[in-house]
Amino acid sequence: MKSKLVKIIVALVVIGLIYVGYMWFMPHRDIQSTKAFKTIGATALVNEFLTDKESANQLYLDTEGESKVLIVSGTIAAISTDQLGQQVILLKDSDEKMGVSCTFTLETNAQTSNLAQGSNIRVKGVLRSGAEYDEDLVLTENVILEKCSIEK
Amino acid sequence: MKNLLLILLTFISLTAFSQAKLTTTSGHIKFFSSTPAEDIEANNYKVISNLTPTTGAIVFSVPMQSFEFEKALMQKHYNSSKFLDTKKFPKSKFNGTISNMADIDLSTDGSYEAKVTGELTIHGVTKKIQENLQLTVSNGKVTGQTSFDIALADYGVVFAKGKPSTNIAKTVKATVNLDFNK
Repeated sequence: MKSKLVKIIVALVVIGLIYVGYMWFMPHRDIQSTKAFKTIGATALVNEFLTDKESANQLYLDTEGESKVLIVSGTIAAISTDQLGQQVILLKDSDEKMGVSCTFTLETNAQTSNLAQGSNIRVKGVLRSGAEYDEDLVLTENVILEKCSIEK
Repeated sequence: MKNLLLILLTFISLTAFSQAKLTTTSGHIKFFSSTPAEDIEANNYKVISNLTPTTGAIVFSVPMQSFEFEKALMQKHYNSSKFLDTKKFPKSKFNGTISNMADIDLSTDGSYEAKVTGELTIHGVTKKIQENLQLTVSNGKVTGQTSFDIALADYGVVFAKGKPSTNIAKTVKATVNLDFNK
């Protein structure tokens, strides 16, 4: 009887430790292997946010930050590097004010090495925030896509 | 006559240049929380900022879901409705002015202490704040650096019990690095 109780307690402790370990070492979401929610043009995506910010946020953003993974197609308007050394590609049509800013990762940076302004590409990444034109602040804000990779 | 026109044009273009708005879409903000239980750090490289030298107007926008944590679970907690509720409040904003802009010459290399006052909106709550921003001009390139404390309760971010209340500091330190006109 006593040994059975000990076994149960040991089993519970082991399960508890596994659970804590899982929580502690929970891997970050792998954007590249996540199935894209949809494929959309850069300007079309921007316009969804400009037309109805609330419903676009509702559709694309997730409560725990695991927002929709999208494949965005568009024309390269600018290529830059952020303060961490990640490549940032702005997909924007020439006659538009706003576009989609795509931040690559240190691992996927190399995929951007042969790209040039003006070419059309498809980029997969996770949506972080929508486009906005803030009149009070005179700020134009692009759609932000991060953890990006080139989609063939 | 021709020379006069040239001088005039040069003057106009110089004026235009000095009045140009400084912008960045790749500012870095880090926040740091320290408790006896653990230290937590998160980084965000997508800060947008505009600075208008003529008026001293300065604005920021921070996409809240762009904060990256070392631990995936922390990142989920931070985004959730119990904390920053980033689905409901996807951006934090600051709208303010530099009160001592007259003492700052961004066309000359040097380091300047800008006194910034304005309204900071986090988690849907707006508060008046006053902080110093270090503006550095080097080879004509302007960078900004500031560091200040944010009391989470001021912005309606409270956790009364459980692990978060012991592991997250009541006041977190925010450090901002702006790389203008990159």
